Amino acid sequence: MQPTLGLIYLTFRELWAKKVVLGLFLISSLLLVMVAFALNLDVVDGSLAGLRLFGQAPGTMEGLSLEKLVFGVEAAVAGAAYWLGILLALFATAPLIVSMLERGHIDLLLSKPMSRSTLFLSHVAGVWAAVAVLTVYLLGGVWAIMSIKTGVWNGSFLISIGLVVVMFGVMYSTVALMGVWTESTALALIVSYGLIFASLVLAGHEAIVAELGLVGSTAFNVLYHILPNFAEVTTMVANLSRAEPVSSWYPLTSSVLFGLVAYALATWQFVRRDF
Amino acid sequence: MPDAVSVDGLEKTYRSGLFRPTTVHALQGVDLALEPGRVFGLLGPNGAGKTTLVKVLLGIVQASAGTATLFGTPVTDHQARQRVGYLPEKHTFPELLTARQMLDVYGQMGRVPAEHRATRIPDLLDKVGLSAQAERKIGTFSKGMLQRVGLAQALMNSPDLLFLDEPTDGVDPVGRRAIRDLLVWLRDEGTTIFINSHLLSEVEKVCGEVAIMNEGQLVKQGAISELTAVEREYRLVCTALPDDLPEAVHQRITPLDNETAPEGLRSWRVASDTRTDLNALIDTLRAHDVEIEAIDPVRRSLEDYFIDVVSPPAA
Repeated sequence: MQPTLGLIYLTFRELWAKKVVLGLFLISSLLLVMVAFALNLDVVDGSLAGLRLFGQAPGTMEGLSLEKLVFGVEAAVAGAAYWLGILLALFATAPLIVSMLERGHIDLLLSKPMSRSTLFLSHVAGVWAAVAVLTVYLLGGVWAIMSIKTGVWNGSFLISIGLVVVMFGVMYSTVALMGVWTESTALALIVSYGLIFASLVLAGHEAIVAELGLVGSTAFNVLYHILPNFAEVTTMVANLSRAEPVSSWYPLTSSVLFGLVAYALATWQFVRRDF
Repeated sequence: MPDAVSVDGLEKTYRSGLFRPTTVHALQGVDLALEPGRVFGLLGPNGAGKTTLVKVLLGIVQASAGTATLFGTPVTDHQARQRVGYLPEKHTFPELLTARQMLDVYGQMGRVPAEHRATRIPDLLDKVGLSAQAERKIGTFSKGMLQRVGLAQALMNSPDLLFLDEPTDGVDPVGRRAIRDLLVWLRDEGTTIFINSHLLSEVEKVCGEVAIMNEGQLVKQGAISELTAVEREYRLVCTALPDDLPEAVHQRITPLDNETAPEGLRSWRVASDTRTDLNALIDTLRAHDVEIEAIDPVRRSLEDYFIDVVSPPAA
């Protein structure tokens, strides 16, 4: 356990030294301060009686219930954390794999009494843990502030924190695999951003498959099932933030399977290669 | 007790290129055994395979054939590195950490318990002369300081076997002396030290035995004193030789003009085919009232020996 904890600590420190992570932390803090102090709500008998943002009242509050407002704010923050947060987190963490493989650094790590798979997976765990801390800080903070201010406790919103962290983990598996394979941060980011872009197209697979021939539709279906469904999981995050039921967990399941396979391949490549 | 390092028929072939594959035979059947407690120097020209051999022993590179063990445990098992410390030639330490934090993290990775780390870190920083820099960030360290903190890192787990790749490279003479003193202290403590270096004068000062690698093979191995001894030639320090010595004696003794000798004495080079012959010569000198101060085998420098071994013979 000791080597794993040492590596997780080292990864935390390396990430903290990156300006992007510091930026994410500052933006999150700013948002929390905004939600805490700039959003003033007048709640009377459990209903929204008044709303002011930076001291200004909105033009109309017709049809806006307290629950709708809370769910709306939480969904907006979760959506931003999911898309913007994951894209920035991938950008911040991608160089870590390649820098770990640098000559002089990897030699030293491999000379320690731990297996290669432990070394690699501990590094990955360190990255996950750092991103999880940031996500819990932002989304957990927003949830706590909104709940205390309004008395509306949206428990299902907390599940979306898990979804953001898991989907970051899924997309980081591509970065890890490409990083170990090619030692190129740029290529690792291009492939993982490419998969996110492809997931936007794959999200419309039902309509697209209907327009394609047998070969095309089969190929499209295969891609839909084997690649991560990053865009479709957005709907799940939004549903959970609004305390609505999730119609299908399949996009998450297939994405997690993709991540597991990518991590297994990355670990296999890390274990077998020379440095 | 098993050998600290044991290598048998070790081979490593690097393959690269997809369309025009090229192969490099970095190690070609290397055999080596190193007893615990020895200070061993691995020498060789660039590309001889020294770094590959060290990397195989540390599990950084995987052998193509043959076996290697550290204290009897195969190097493919990470437990073999439990008692090992390593300072690579081109190391990259996390620049954002202080010296104390860096030693703590690497100690943790080396499975050193927290309570041991707490006492070991100040002790090691003191030994490498960096006590005052404990809270300074690694990124601000000079090359020599990096080398010394790197050595402290390699010693965090109190290793029984220490691998050092060019340990005094880039270190000023004072720092080099400090490292050398530390290595001598470790040797006296019973640590097995495996040094990979180009600085032959440094190796000569610390190591008891060396091996020379060339083109992926170990071409020579043995104690430095044995390897550098010139066969059946001796250095004699004595009083002036009388003129009435037999001509045969004069022919076998030549003055060493570039060597200084104590006042009233001179240095001579003596050639002798056998021990009996040498003793007869000494008897003749003594019979002519020559007083002998010292007689010892002539030695070459390790550098001269190394160049003889690795240089191709003249056509």
